Amino acid sequence: MPSMAVPPTPGLASFLKSLNANPVETSIEHFISLLKRRQIRSSRACAVATTHLLIQVLAPATPFTALLARIRQVGARLTAAQPRELAVGNMVRRVLGLVREVAEESPESASGGGGGGDSTADAKPLSHRPPLPSSISALSPLKHGATAPAETTTGTTTTTTTITAPSPLRETHAGRPPLPTQSTSYAPGPPAATSLFGIFSRPETPSPASTPAGAQSPSRAAAHMPGGAAKEHRERGSPSSSSGGMSGGETLSGLREMLDELDSAAEQIAGVALDHVHGGELILTHTASATVQRFLLAAARKRRFTLVHVESGPNDDGDTRGAVLMGSGRKAGAAPGGGGGGGWGGGGPLGGEDDEEAGAPAEERFRPLTAAGVSVVLVPDAAVFALMARVNKVVLAPHGVLANGGLVACGGAATVAAAARAHRVPVVVVSPVFKLSPLYPFDVAELIEVGDPGRVVGFGEEGATRWLGEVVDVVNPVFDYVKPEFVDLYITNLGGCAPSYLYRIVADHYRVEDVNL
Amino acid sequence: MAASQSSASFDIVSTYRRLLSEDPELTMPVAAIESLVEAFAASQASTISETLTVLSNATHTLKAAIPNPISLSAGTDLFQRYLITTLRPGAGGDFDAIRSHLLSNGRLFVERAKASRDKIAGFGRHFIRDGATVLTNGGSRVVGAMLRSAADASGGSVRFRVIFALSQNEHDDNDAIEGTEIVKSLRQKGVPVATIPEGAVAYSMGKVDMVIVGAEGVVENGGIISRLGTYQMGILAKAAGKPFYVVAESHKFVRLYPLSQYDLPINQQVIDFKIEGENDWKQGPDRGVPDDEGVDVGLEGQAKLAKSNMRSSQYFGNASANAVDFTPPDLISGIITESGVLTPSAVSEELIKIWF
Repeated sequence: MPSMAVPPTPGLASFLKSLNANPVETSIEHFISLLKRRQIRSSRACAVATTHLLIQVLAPATPFTALLARIRQVGARLTAAQPRELAVGNMVRRVLGLVREVAEESPESASGGGGGGDSTADAKPLSHRPPLPSSISALSPLKHGATAPAETTTGTTTTTTTITAPSPLRETHAGRPPLPTQSTSYAPGPPAATSLFGIFSRPETPSPASTPAGAQSPSRAAAHMPGGAAKEHRERGSPSSSSGGMSGGETLSGLREMLDELDSAAEQIAGVALDHVHGGELILTHTASATVQRFLLAAARKRRFTLVHVESGPNDDGDTRGAVLMGSGRKAGAAPGGGGGGGWGGGGPLGGEDDEEAGAPAEERFRPLTAAGVSVVLVPDAAVFALMARVNKVVLAPHGVLANGGLVACGGAATVAAAARAHRVPVVVVSPVFKLSPLYPFDVAELIEVGDPGRVVGFGEEGATRWLGEVVDVVNPVFDYVKPEFVDLYITNLGGCAPSYLYRIVADHYRVEDVNL
Repeated sequence: MAASQSSASFDIVSTYRRLLSEDPELTMPVAAIESLVEAFAASQASTISETLTVLSNATHTLKAAIPNPISLSAGTDLFQRYLITTLRPGAGGDFDAIRSHLLSNGRLFVERAKASRDKIAGFGRHFIRDGATVLTNGGSRVVGAMLRSAADASGGSVRFRVIFALSQNEHDDNDAIEGTEIVKSLRQKGVPVATIPEGAVAYSMGKVDMVIVGAEGVVENGGIISRLGTYQMGILAKAAGKPFYVVAESHKFVRLYPLSQYDLPINQQVIDFKIEGENDWKQGPDRGVPDDEGVDVGLEGQAKLAKSNMRSSQYFGNASANAVDFTPPDLISGIITESGVLTPSAVSEELIKIWF
């Protein structure tokens, strides 16, 4: 149990404290080691730590291109350290998008034209990349963005076949002439550019690829700059950033907004709880999640309902019991070995999603639901199917949500979802937007972490030494992949949406060129 | 066409056919765009509305002359919308500039359209994992490109297999069957390919990890129009819980909203009821009842003999080579386009962006 090593348990709180004291590079290394040792886990903690770290990385007065390359490089290291913490990559991508947005809006950058962030990032010598720790990273889902082919990344995906097409993205950025800043009479392509017009774009921009790609990007973005040229500019998806200096203030305030969002997301989701939880209902939830806890607490203020709380061993049962009995998945402030189960890493294992590890006074924020007047029934996951017929609604919390509408959640979630489907019980997933990843689950097995088999069968158990590893394989998957068909509704901090609509939220939050870090 | 004298001398239909036959890699929508650009070049139109009239007349002529204009209409619509949006007053479009852009870059559009196929192939191969078995059908070039790209990506040691459903109800010249070339090229690359008749799709489904098909057109609700037999593959894949992916370039998005199989704007007689004694029927009693009625089982030997010469396209109505069906969006797991992997519901948004 690594977390026992140092008296002040290493974790999010200690990391955030150390951030200001240490040079950036040290902090990066620190974070990487925390990620690798799973001392920072759960999507929220990862997102918070990543954002704080990137604030440090942002040095004022760096040229945009250098900044993009730098963030990208840091991001690649972080995601390689722990590819399954999707939130890390998500935040890195959002920061990249933010920097690009600032770059595109600031006047001096527009005149810069030329080589964009991608080209610099791509040109970056491979030696800067950390060696890949294992084969999983080479195959990591993080390299498989759904919105851009892997060619945009360099070497790590060693695959190869060069697409014969004149590798569009790179070329564009390299050879692009300055884009006109104002709409000139010499129409720079279709003003209402859309991806479908991709093949018509003007010859000066020899990239069919970047146009459609960019147009995937949000109308939210387009709405910011209604000007024809500005839109064009944007929709070309070109990081036309470059020579301009970095207007640190804007980016920084954007990052602070992101931090606020991380803080307030659960609150916002809880805000709609009354619309979804009705009096007298029987709600089922699986394992401990702070987001679900808040959601249900908010509902409990006005509604009387019954909660079936499913615990799921061997990884998450401790957390779940903690949530039921004390209102916090993680015992106050991530006490090592807390959450009843002991286990690997502080608190429960990876289980409880987005637990407030941030040294938050958990007791103040959370009360057990029972204290709020909810009757709670704690059941083992073996009982899910039997109970499902009586349940009105299933509320799940994901570890990460994928671009196709599927989700990764604690082990056992797929069973719950399948049982719900069998009984036609609606499945509602409460997920803050930062958990939503632009990646596509090309290979589900890559997304699922395999945990400590010692939690299933202890090595001390009789016969264990004789059989384990030789004859008996013990596997302890920590996560489950739930297919999009099994989900009826996602509730994000932006509101509710169907799984088939998530692609749109992805497009609103991530730039296509950032999907592959 | 009454429209203009200039387009009278220009035969768009033959241009379209010529373009398609000259370049086997060309897709129908792009050929249609090409033809329209040539029509545009041949016309002396000097005003916007004149141009639009010329082009819309050419489009009508073309659509009327081609039996299944769904796919090409994606191209003509796209071209028309492009002109309208760029030439719209206030859009900053300069007629002469646009005109010269279009005329001088006709080839470029084609290149880009082909490049988007390569781009799709680039994504697509991430879908095909080691050990996977892929079921596909038809002669879609983009599916072929994607599978080849996946084979190349594996660096010599191919670790996936392909089951290729070939429709064999045609004149049984092996080369004429759609998809034979793809099968050949995949085998050359060392991909183990099994060819099965379409009747064996359900039988094979248990061995399949994913279904990947191409499309002639992707319609507004996210469904696809594709060669006959795709719909049933979709249903079977859904029933077996296997993912069903569609690979299509985004210039194949077409503004149609079919509600059912029989709601397509084309005239195909896949179901063609007959009784004995009708004109087509004179070939003899041994061919008296269509195969799928199951009546001619006893006459199987004769039927086989008769097959090669009697299976006229007439006999099958229009059902042989060019017939299409509509696969509704709920059967589709994802649409792989050059701008990403879309859910079917994303298609309408893309279309709305250009039409409204």
